[in-house]
Amino acid sequence: MSDWYAANIVLVQSTMTTLLLALSIQLPLRVGVFSFAGVGCYGIGGYAAAICMIRLEMTTWPSIAVGTLLAGAASFLLGLLIQRLNGLYLGMATIAFTLIIAILAVNGGSLTGGAAGLFGALGDLTTGSILAVTLVVVVVFALSETGGLGRRVDAVREDPELAAAMGVDVSRYRRMSFLVSGLVGGLSGALTILLRSSITPAEVNFQLVVLALTVIVVGGFRSWAGALIGSVIFVWLPKALDFVGEWETVVYGVIVVLAALYLPGGVLGLAADLYHRLRSGRRGGETDDEKGAGGADAGPGAVAGREFDQLAVPGEGR
Amino acid sequence: MSLRLRWARGAGVTMIAGLSLVAAACGSGGESTAAESAGDGKLPAEIKLVGVRDTTGPVAYAGLGAVKGTQLAVEEINNSNFLGEGVKITVTEKDSANSIETASSEVTSAIADSGVAAILGPAAGQQAAAVAPVAERSKTPIVFTQAGSDGVVIGKYTFRATSPMDTYYHLATEYLAAKGLKNVTVLYNATFPTFAQLAEKTMPDLAGKSGLTVVSSTAVQATTQDFTSPTRLIAEKKPDAALFFLTAPQSVTALKQLRQAGYDGPVLGTSVQGGGNLKSAGEYGKGVIYPTDFSPAQSQGKSAEFIKNFQAKFNALPDQYAAEGYDAAWWIARAIKASGSATRDGIQQGLAKVAAEGFEGAMGQLGFEGNDMRVPGVLVEWDGEAEKVVTTTP
Amino acid sequence: MLQDVFNAVVLGSIYLLFALGMALAWGTIGVLNFAHGVTFMFSAFAAHLVADRVALPAPLIVVLAAAMGALISCLVQALVFQSILRRARNPRAAEMQILIAGIGVAVIPLAIAQRLTNGAPFGFGSAAEQAQVYQVGGLRLTTMALVVIVVGLGLGVGLAWWLKASKRGLALRSIGVDPETASLMGANRTSLALGTMAVAGALAGLAGALLTYQLGAISAETGDVLLIKAFAAIVLGGLGSQAGVIAGAYFIAIAETFVIVNNWGTWADAVSFGLIFLMLLVRPQGLFGRREVRRT
Repeated sequence: MSDWYAANIVLVQSTMTTLLLALSIQLPLRVGVFSFAGVGCYGIGGYAAAICMIRLEMTTWPSIAVGTLLAGAASFLLGLLIQRLNGLYLGMATIAFTLIIAILAVNGGSLTGGAAGLFGALGDLTTGSILAVTLVVVVVFALSETGGLGRRVDAVREDPELAAAMGVDVSRYRRMSFLVSGLVGGLSGALTILLRSSITPAEVNFQLVVLALTVIVVGGFRSWAGALIGSVIFVWLPKALDFVGEWETVVYGVIVVLAALYLPGGVLGLAADLYHRLRSGRRGGETDDEKGAGGADAGPGAVAGREFDQLAVPGEGR
Repeated sequence: MSLRLRWARGAGVTMIAGLSLVAAACGSGGESTAAESAGDGKLPAEIKLVGVRDTTGPVAYAGLGAVKGTQLAVEEINNSNFLGEGVKITVTEKDSANSIETASSEVTSAIADSGVAAILGPAAGQQAAAVAPVAERSKTPIVFTQAGSDGVVIGKYTFRATSPMDTYYHLATEYLAAKGLKNVTVLYNATFPTFAQLAEKTMPDLAGKSGLTVVSSTAVQATTQDFTSPTRLIAEKKPDAALFFLTAPQSVTALKQLRQAGYDGPVLGTSVQGGGNLKSAGEYGKGVIYPTDFSPAQSQGKSAEFIKNFQAKFNALPDQYAAEGYDAAWWIARAIKASGSATRDGIQQGLAKVAAEGFEGAMGQLGFEGNDMRVPGVLVEWDGEAEKVVTTTP
Repeated sequence: MLQDVFNAVVLGSIYLLFALGMALAWGTIGVLNFAHGVTFMFSAFAAHLVADRVALPAPLIVVLAAAMGALISCLVQALVFQSILRRARNPRAAEMQILIAGIGVAVIPLAIAQRLTNGAPFGFGSAAEQAQVYQVGGLRLTTMALVVIVVGLGLGVGLAWWLKASKRGLALRSIGVDPETASLMGANRTSLALGTMAVAGALAGLAGALLTYQLGAISAETGDVLLIKAFAAIVLGGLGSQAGVIAGAYFIAIAETFVIVNNWGTWADAVSFGLIFLMLLVRPQGLFGRREVRRT
């Protein structure tokens, strides 16, 4: 066990930092905000933490705190600026934001180390401490998926007008989603960089946006558990595919396509589906009722779109 | 705990397989004091190395080249009983697949396996910078090839078997000075650390030394694909020579468009143009001159021997990446011999010892600055089919 | 100055050529195809493989690449996107799945091309690349640059006009607005979608071949960079508007050329993305977009 752990410590840690990054993209989506600013915040958090450690000679956790808060602040301001954008226009604006962060880093002179980036920012991080931080974030996210808050978040996404009519301050929810997404993205960046000890502008790129999105869509994009499943899959897949050798990337692509084809609700959706079937099998005639209840807040016709079924999953334990 | 177990097993095999160790010591003879220690039975029968490099992805050519070079070196080392009869080096190759996480995970796995004596590290600078501190912390010797950026050779356990481009770029500026080509322009990819360093720090320096004037220095990004505008700016300056520090695909486009913009003077590039990367430039690639750490056109000493053996094994000409991989593996073998130990610390001490003395490898007479290799380098010209050596004498 | 404008137009036409097919599929049948970049690359790569063995005249290579593009695109549509659309009844979920499926599909040809080239750039052989250079007034023009401009603008305007004026164009646009009503009115969604994807793929292949001529050589990753630029051009112009794509592509090209001419090269992307950012703040629906935003 400890041998296994020593050999795979990077993947274990990377699973958690990837989860945080995925959550920072997932949260805005859950509120109906198509924002990829979390990836830019990953860059801000990473750079800020590295600069704190190298230039200001701060210790590990204060550096991470600075990175996290700075990224949160940047994201919040960005949210204020672009909150009236919608859909893919918002997506494009946040991708532009992310790519601009990388270009600022290239042109940042001695502060950011230019194209060569920063190195030597090795934080004093243990897997346990990363796990603790990740757990805190996950618990907060899990709470936001249940109870009144969970329902309000769903309402803001599915029907903003209706939510507003019912007294939910929609734009406040959207602004908060930017803030939280920035904080978590920044935290992910700070942790990743202090684990790796180096950061270059080339790492904050469109590919990272793609990775985060793939993680949550394949895992399941309505719940933190989906993000976790996705992170585990994509962090460990290269190792699991070691045996196919040079064609590893091809197999990776095929898996993503198959997931998109056959798992519309992600792996989590599949699990929820099986769970439903198991339960309805036991209880017989109640199937229809249950499906109706599962899709209730998604409006009619959503039954077939399994993604909405999972909406009910995290709350079902109540 | 597992460390002791594995070494115990290793030692056992050595004793069974190594009955004629004394003969081996004689056979490999002539290599100063190291030969004795190799023969005293301390070396295990199998010395395990792990190579972590990109063998797929956008810079696969660098990783694949290094892998081949290493394979040839290991074959030579084992066949010649360089480390003594029955002592074999084996290399397990892992694909870092263009990912920092994968590289650092594979390196960590290799470190966790106490049977692994040393690591041949990734060629991509970002991957190397991420795994260097891991190797340092765990006191595992790692030899990088390429990985020209800062933050790679950072301590006792990190070594690099590639001379950074800026250490031999003086070959190009001296050539220009010798030819009386004084006014030069620079076009470079500023998002690539190596090129940025070369253009912004090294060039002004070298230009000063050789009496050249850099009339313009144009920065582009890694994402720049069309060079119509930057090349027009260069053509307008009518320089005596145009220098460009760009990635392989960018180079082809820049060359073509520079010619189309009306510039017909000499063009100088970087070692990125090596390995046949200029082939797709066709006519436009002919006559491009660049300094490199190794060229298959080299015809002297160990380089010629390496080229001959490489061709015999792979039926192709070696590129600089292969030469680097070859020299890296030989460096480790010499290190084991020099310290008489195949433990991680033994190899580390051996690598430092060999570095202090230097040795002759595929890239010529190799010198070192600390743990960092320095090569004489060679100036070559691409004639459309192959490289040929350019002499700097006017 | 005039030369810079000309160069910006060439660059804009490159972006436009690439973006046209992507915009067509996205604006009409709602397929945001992330495999467009590799369709572009792999068509050129396939043509390169052929050109390496047989010497072909340039027009034939271009046709070959376009056919290859159409083939790849049709395959992706028939095997992947179509069945996602069939299964998912919720258009928003389908859109996201198509996005991810496209990302997955894109990995495959990219890995194959990288494997076969080992990362080296590829072109169409030296015989095919000797471009004629003309000197008109103070301008230096090459045949290829002119071809790129003419084809890019011609196709851009032609496609916009076709969508507006022809019956099929109307059917296509109606699908983009309301698929259900459109099919009630007799538009066959499946075959129209397949046809659209074939055209989009052919445009990608065409762009791949022309760009390989214009740039001398491309690499397996070339499509990825263009994908982001095209995405930006389409959103900037306003989704669903073909005229918008044309404007968006030239807008980005002019901004980038301006930055490069002033030797702020490392800021090129920052300026183009910064401008996009500002533009969206002023006109959240893009330059030519409709005010009601259909997609999320």
